[in-house]
Amino acid sequence: MSVPLSQMWVVATYVLKQKLRGRKRYPLVLMLEPLFRCNLTCAGCGKIQYPAEILRKHLSVEACLKAVDECGAPVVSIPGGEPLMYPKIGELVDALVKRKKYVYLCTNAIQLKDKLEQGVFKPSKHLSFSIHMDGLREEHDEAVCRDGVYDEAVEGIKEALRRGFRVTTNTTLFDGANPLRMREFFDEMMTLGVEGMMLSPGYSYSKAPDQEHFLRRSKTNELFSVMLSDPKKHWRFNQSPLFLQFLMGKHDYECTPWGNPTFNLFGWQRPCYLLQEGYAETFQDLMENTRWERYGRRSGNEKCQDCMVHCGFEPTAVDQTFGSWKGFRDTVVATITGKL
Amino acid sequence: MTLQGWVPKLGEYLTLAEVIDLAFDYRGNTAVVKVDGTEVEGYIFNRNRDVSEPFVQMFDLAGNGPFKIPYSEIQNIKFTGKDTAAGNSWLAWLERKEKEKAEKAGRLDKGTA
Repeated sequence: MSVPLSQMWVVATYVLKQKLRGRKRYPLVLMLEPLFRCNLTCAGCGKIQYPAEILRKHLSVEACLKAVDECGAPVVSIPGGEPLMYPKIGELVDALVKRKKYVYLCTNAIQLKDKLEQGVFKPSKHLSFSIHMDGLREEHDEAVCRDGVYDEAVEGIKEALRRGFRVTTNTTLFDGANPLRMREFFDEMMTLGVEGMMLSPGYSYSKAPDQEHFLRRSKTNELFSVMLSDPKKHWRFNQSPLFLQFLMGKHDYECTPWGNPTFNLFGWQRPCYLLQEGYAETFQDLMENTRWERYGRRSGNEKCQDCMVHCGFEPTAVDQTFGSWKGFRDTVVATITGKL
Repeated sequence: MTLQGWVPKLGEYLTLAEVIDLAFDYRGNTAVVKVDGTEVEGYIFNRNRDVSEPFVQMFDLAGNGPFKIPYSEIQNIKFTGKDTAAGNSWLAWLERKEKEKAEKAGRLDKGTA
């Protein structure tokens, strides 16, 4: 596993503090969406289908920072939309780094090389570019519905690494993914020199153009079991090993929808990053007045039955690590041996 | 299936609250017809009926807002704007890829690839 020690320490002490305070629900990663605009229209994405006047809008840096302070999570992920299209992305990232937040800037990297050449970002242990890569060239270009994007992303990765930035990848997997090709993809990303990879099955957004290729739970287990069985020693994953084991079917976890709260143009999204059932005006309102019992697999909510996405289950995995000796032991063993 | 262009007929089988839920889920602009006969056109991004005075929240066509409109001031909602989740761009991409594949296969058959 490849999360840097300093980041691991910050997250560990944060989680332990929450536990000592007896907080049942606490945020781990803030999903901050400063805009919905994107320069791609990916088949599996349900995030960007809005009228033009909504796509033209974006949050102010002040609104973003107010949300960050309200939430208090140690990690801030900036997805979107495409965050490199946010006019004040440099200023926002700079302010987050000054607050010592660990920032994952999730980008398709089409504009990354240009932004780096313009000096928009400075390398920091608190900043990682999380590059959207859904597989090798053929699979990735098909997933993002545009030829040539894989090559642009690879260029961006190389340039970021050359300039001393932390670079990770984020990969969403859909039905029909070829586990052997994915293993080749892992080799390729490691050869490029990325710090670690993040994986997740896709979620069946009702607004996504492609409704046929989302993974059901049993198929997710099957795919990840084959793909991650006997993992190569040089593969590094920038996520909890317990979450990967959950995807392989080795643990049965319940969703933690409040673990990755989402803030965007509309406010605090209820109940999670994936479902849009309404918006709260404050983080406190989100946490206190969302009917959490209506969500997660055990609730019977059909929208949650096949979901195994990172934003709901990675916080559960992290909570398990620090919530039980078994969880802690399993995490340590997987981290040291690299076996899943 | 899309609700684009739909003007709901409220009555025994379709309540205002149901139409508001559909409008909230709709990824296009709508026109909120108020009880005083005026209309506000824009994007409804939120609705809350778990409060003492249920309301919708929206941005207008210029992107101004958000504005809050209580359910009690709404007569009906018309689905006037384009449904941006209809998936047309993705279908166009699929059709283009299929055409490219067919052309490539054709060239291979003729030995000209």
